[in-house]
Amino acid sequence: MVSEESEKLQALRQEVRTWLRENLPEGWGTPAYVPPVRGTAEAQAAGKEWSKKLYDAGYTGFTVPKEYGGVERPRDEQAVIREEMSRTGTPPGPGTLGYLAVAALMRWGTEEQKKRWIPKIMTNEECWCECFSEPNAGSDLANLQKTGVRDGDDWIVNGQSVWTSSSKFADWGIVPVRTDVNAPRHRNLSFFVFDCKSPGFSVKPLRQMTGDAEFGETFFDDVRIPHANMIGEEGQGWYVAMGVLEAERGGGMRIGEGAAAVGVTTLGGVENFVELAKNTKRRGQVAWDDPLFRQRIAQFAIENEAIRASTQRMRVKAMKGQLTGHEQSITSVYRREKNQHQANMVAEMIGASIQYMRGDKRALDEGSWTYTFLRSRGNTIETGTTEINRGIIAERLLGLPRTRM
Amino acid sequence: MAIEFGLNEEQEMLKTMARDFLANECPMSRVRELMEDETGFSADLWKKMADVGWLGLVLPEEYGGAGMNFRDLTVLLDEMGRQVFPSPFISTLLYVGMPILNFGTEEQKKELLPKICSGEAVCTLAALEDDGDWWADSIKVRADRRGDSYVINGTKLFVPDAQAANYMLIAARTKRTENPEEGITLFLLDTSEVWGMLTTPLKTMDETRKLYEVVFMNVPIPAKNILGELHQGWPIMKYIELHTTAALCAEMVGAGERAFEMTVDYLKERVAFGVVIGSFQALQHRAADLAIGLEYSRSLMEWAAENIKENHPDAATSVAMAKSFCGDTCKKVVAEGIQMHGGIGFTWDHDMHLYFKRIWVDDNAFGDSIYQRELVAKALDDIHQLSGYGRWRRMPGVTGAVGQSLI
Repeated sequence: MVSEESEKLQALRQEVRTWLRENLPEGWGTPAYVPPVRGTAEAQAAGKEWSKKLYDAGYTGFTVPKEYGGVERPRDEQAVIREEMSRTGTPPGPGTLGYLAVAALMRWGTEEQKKRWIPKIMTNEECWCECFSEPNAGSDLANLQKTGVRDGDDWIVNGQSVWTSSSKFADWGIVPVRTDVNAPRHRNLSFFVFDCKSPGFSVKPLRQMTGDAEFGETFFDDVRIPHANMIGEEGQGWYVAMGVLEAERGGGMRIGEGAAAVGVTTLGGVENFVELAKNTKRRGQVAWDDPLFRQRIAQFAIENEAIRASTQRMRVKAMKGQLTGHEQSITSVYRREKNQHQANMVAEMIGASIQYMRGDKRALDEGSWTYTFLRSRGNTIETGTTEINRGIIAERLLGLPRTRM
Repeated sequence: MAIEFGLNEEQEMLKTMARDFLANECPMSRVRELMEDETGFSADLWKKMADVGWLGLVLPEEYGGAGMNFRDLTVLLDEMGRQVFPSPFISTLLYVGMPILNFGTEEQKKELLPKICSGEAVCTLAALEDDGDWWADSIKVRADRRGDSYVINGTKLFVPDAQAANYMLIAARTKRTENPEEGITLFLLDTSEVWGMLTTPLKTMDETRKLYEVVFMNVPIPAKNILGELHQGWPIMKYIELHTTAALCAEMVGAGERAFEMTVDYLKERVAFGVVIGSFQALQHRAADLAIGLEYSRSLMEWAAENIKENHPDAATSVAMAKSFCGDTCKKVVAEGIQMHGGIGFTWDHDMHLYFKRIWVDDNAFGDSIYQRELVAKALDDIHQLSGYGRWRRMPGVTGAVGQSLI
């Protein structure tokens, strides 16, 4: 079922390709491009600017209706744009985290809530954070300890979150809170949008093993959240949160639509590995001539094509209504582990020089390989560990019974 | 060009029809009977396959075929794989029918293709020798000119379905030069009226696909039976390699998916320690890994088949990618299939070993996953050189890297 692309689509493909060439940063997709350090104001500003550019060009915002600031385009045009963006590893916009709020708002929000928040997410005028994980509730999200007590028109919220990305710069946040301590698991949470300038809300940078502080620890100390900011009904928070997580895991399938590509770096292009292997000598032998490295690099090329082909296949299935939504766990596990395997391969290939970090004059490609190597450890944890995703595949896709605890 | 995955209406029909046909005409009990049979061939079943149009599926209507395309063919092979179907189907259509169609003279086509479609012809290919590897240098069986004919001498191994076949395509050396790919010639032999050919069954692991030793002792073949040009057989061999490799991917994915379904079903019903074993996380996570592998196997297989159908320049690389990935995944699926079934999976009576054997043999054919990955690496090398990559600057004096700017 191969069809010749219409002239209109071909023209669009060319337009997107040219636009990306002109607008992506110099050296994008190669180690020559050194991104700003994550979690810094510089990185935040760069992301904001990029999102705005994408939005203005009409290359993003497809999942949202026009009335809320979305961009409506025929499906085939969306597909062309996404394909061209994923070819270059174009970073998603607008603000990844804002999109998670959109996922919650589109499904559970009132008309007023949608009109208030979504348009400014689309233009990226307002930034968002997601306060889900707690020190004692990561994979087991239903164990959240944050409490909310009703007081007139407000809820008074107390507790703590960890791993809150972009919390330093956020204007708004989404947070599930335990609003009924007596209700059973999965029925005791309510879901809120809160203003990050609220008194009692504070952020402490959380430094991860790369040395950067991409995330934060956030504290709720008698934070007042208006009841009007509750998304969905009281007690429905677990289901809203699950919907948000599903959107987040779908990163692989919705490239360019802003779901989480968190931490999945863009150095995955196989040509970069070939180039590196050709320029790496270990004890006199060029790595590219070593069958072990050739095999591993070829495997990554195969895996990249597998992911690309599967993404297309899933899109066709989605159009026919044959997807359950849990298929994204397949993509999630696979991409994230692949990213780690690639980073490990590079570390093993370049040997001692993997030790040099950014800032050392001997660091290879400004330390970007080392950074990727370290950062990739988080890939199989964030947005749901690969173990959680394997559980979803086993139970939801294969129909195996619930795991014995 | 945008490739669309999944099946169109016609392909959905073909798939449903194939599944019903195989369930009715060749259930696992029949597969076992054919395993026990020395030829592994049923003339009755073959006739029925001709009647439903399978034998000429991708041959043009003017020769009695159904005129369908290569992607359609993989839909059928996929179903045959699910049933570890014992049949000279690949031998007849992929090894001989399609090469005749693409490289034969009009006379050769008229002679053989209608017979393939009607089921009168059962064909096979005698290509492999001692080492069992598909490469030009291993072809040593000789064809020497004698007037208007050639005489063939030597031994071929791993010849599938040789006992059932009445036509055989033979790869023989007609000239020895520096380049082993030069001087190979393909001959089409009507084996029903031939003297000096000795066919002996090999005792091999996958009994659903019979293999033979074929010894040629001064077997005469008229020069008009050459397929393509004299000494120029290797490009035809490459054609056969490309198409059959993609066909085996479809067969492996079908077989792998079926073996996986059997395994998941077993995980849902087998009880140990008072619970079904599918509730154990140790098994769930491994099952999830197999599901992931099969998802990507199918995508790569469909993509490769589409590329062949469209004669896309990337076809060969995409086939190598698919073969490597499908081989790795399906080998893991059947190994885990046996392990997760426990003792019963290790018995002769359980079907899992049939899938295990078929998949390992398919993986090996035309080069296993490791060999295919090396083909991909070579393709990456070509792409890399073509793209003029390497403009990014390296820090001089860096440990572990050459350290020179490539500008």
